[in-house]
Amino acid sequence: MYEKTSKGTDVASAAGGSAIIARGAGKAYRMYDKPIHRLWDLLLPGKERGKEFWAVRDVYLDIPQGATVGIIGENGAGKSTLLKLLTGITRPTVGEVKTNGRIASLLELGAGFHPEFSGRENIRLNCSILGMTEEETEERFHKIVEFSELGEFIDRPVKTYSSGMHVRLGFSVATTVDPDILIIDEALSVGDEHFKGKCINRLNEFQEMGKTTLFVSHDMGSVKSMCKHVVLMHEGRVLEQGTAEDVADEYLKRAHVRGNERMSSINRTTDEYPRWGSGEIRTQEVELYGPGNDATNVFQPGSPFRARIHFEAKETCRQPVFGLGVYRSDGTYVNGSNHLWRRAPIELDEVKAGTKGYVEMAFESLPLLQGAYYLTVFVYDHDKAAPTPIDHREHAVSFEVMDANHMQHGLLFLPTRWSVTVDGAEERVSAE
Amino acid sequence: MIQTIKSLAQNRSLLRDFVVRDLKARYVGSSMGFFWSVVYPIMNLFVYLFVFQIVLKMTWSADKSSQEVVLLMLVGIVAWTAFAETLSRATNTLVDNANLIQKVVFPSEILPVYITISALVNLVIALPVVGLALTYGMLNPPTDPVTVAAAEASGNLGIQVGLNLAWLPLLLILQGVFTAGLAYFLATFNLFWRDTIHIIGVAVTVLMFLTPIFYPAEKMVAEGYGWMLTYNPMHWLLDMYRGVMVKNLAPDLRFLAQFTGAAALSFFVGSQFFSSQRERFPDLL
Repeated sequence: MYEKTSKGTDVASAAGGSAIIARGAGKAYRMYDKPIHRLWDLLLPGKERGKEFWAVRDVYLDIPQGATVGIIGENGAGKSTLLKLLTGITRPTVGEVKTNGRIASLLELGAGFHPEFSGRENIRLNCSILGMTEEETEERFHKIVEFSELGEFIDRPVKTYSSGMHVRLGFSVATTVDPDILIIDEALSVGDEHFKGKCINRLNEFQEMGKTTLFVSHDMGSVKSMCKHVVLMHEGRVLEQGTAEDVADEYLKRAHVRGNERMSSINRTTDEYPRWGSGEIRTQEVELYGPGNDATNVFQPGSPFRARIHFEAKETCRQPVFGLGVYRSDGTYVNGSNHLWRRAPIELDEVKAGTKGYVEMAFESLPLLQGAYYLTVFVYDHDKAAPTPIDHREHAVSFEVMDANHMQHGLLFLPTRWSVTVDGAEERVSAE
Repeated sequence: MIQTIKSLAQNRSLLRDFVVRDLKARYVGSSMGFFWSVVYPIMNLFVYLFVFQIVLKMTWSADKSSQEVVLLMLVGIVAWTAFAETLSRATNTLVDNANLIQKVVFPSEILPVYITISALVNLVIALPVVGLALTYGMLNPPTDPVTVAAAEASGNLGIQVGLNLAWLPLLLILQGVFTAGLAYFLATFNLFWRDTIHIIGVAVTVLMFLTPIFYPAEKMVAEGYGWMLTYNPMHWLLDMYRGVMVKNLAPDLRFLAQFTGAAALSFFVGSQFFSSQRERFPDLL
């Protein structure tokens, strides 16, 4: 039975009560080989058809009222199913989930918008869908329109809206419902920076008003910036819950492992990229090292970084020079260098046929921010008037930079110095 | 069933909003708007008149004037359209509104019902056309001596309009309950077997020709298919509509009782099936 509000009398009074409680909650879906098996299951129950798939299991949560909790996990970890359970959209197969108060979920902004109708008409229906009475809608209508900043577009059909406008309208409606519990599923990733800022302000207002907020994301940075408490999901289970710092460490550890798996599968296919040159020297494996002694492909901003390029000389070669280019995955050329063009150059007069060795390039602290990058490695013959390629390998190895702190934005991590002076008072300086 | 009715009552304002939106959505962007609700049945009428009366030269019965035949067909078409439209739209309504069911806590009970109501409202909008045709028929009684003689012999009084029109609201409500029950059932069943929506498209057409809409029920009986009428609730309903609207006759009490029973059964089975599976909808979609 559908109820617009499930505000229990026992909860409204208890200030320090729980907003959401899950006790051993689990959700199983049945997967059928053929669609028709589902019909047989309905008509002739008893026989086991299809496979059970547990999207979420053994979830114990107790989220106090007024808390802001982040739920984090990779794709397929069960975040969305957990949200459906917590919002009451679907029932747990085992265990129980209890919520106290009106829930607004931003699982999908603007669910139920009709493209042919104007924003104005859609606001009314959406409010009605979210369980508001006519008076409540009337009261808030102006605020919704204002917050959405749609201007004259409010009277145009929603089909003419950009996706950003769509989200803006949906967010405005959903957060004006005045929920006790607000659930956000990475919905804020759309929309421009200005509106994003407004949304975050709105969410902060919610927190100050003592409302419970659940924030779901796979981006540790944004979770950490909004939530003190984090729940880490993995393969349908709650792996860890605790303060953002504690869980973030565990998350990053896993992210590194996963990132390395992903990177190594990418790096297996690097043969597909262009490679050219006369071939006297062939570069071989390119290994990357972080702070430890084990090769890795995942780094953090500011961590040590070494690239080791193994090579083998097929023929004797005079004056070969090894070099390396760093690119961001979108092709932005970040940096290029070699061991010759330096204040203290390393000159290799002659490399004999059949010799092997390796060349290393290192950053003491990697100046890159979050993102995916690749290296292009090359050997050029500098014996001739103009350098000619011996072995030039585009996209020789990929690596990833993960940032849990998001202290800076953009491409490069730069050592910045900040100072603030107010009314001639003592200057406050932040070196880092 | 009680659960379903309760939920419908609780969410009546949302239900109303859905009906209003649906009616508006039909013609939003079209220049003739609601006029189409009137044009559709007339166009259909002309098509079937052309096929059955002109090409096939079918005589309904000797004692009926052409005005009367047109009216009998028109009433049948208008009522049938509402029924057929509801079934074909309601079957897919849960699938069409998957984002509401999966992303919002939403009273899905209203979905099959808003479609039923919307079709009935559309039926009511088309009624003035029937009224105009009735008026015309009343003012122009048959003059053809053969028809007049046959009518006198069989006691056919021609087109009659009177107080029995007061039965109309009851018939509309009964049709709504009957159709809503089927809509509940089909919408739910379609989640288990998505081919339902395609089968319904065919089934509605087959049923339309098996129900005496474009030909008199007597012909079916004469050909030995009378048993089909015995089990066809839509025949009972159409017969009552025609009596009430064209002949100023109170509904046949046997038909009225049977149809009320069918409507109750349909709504009971449909809504029970719907609410027994309702919790699983987000998983089935």
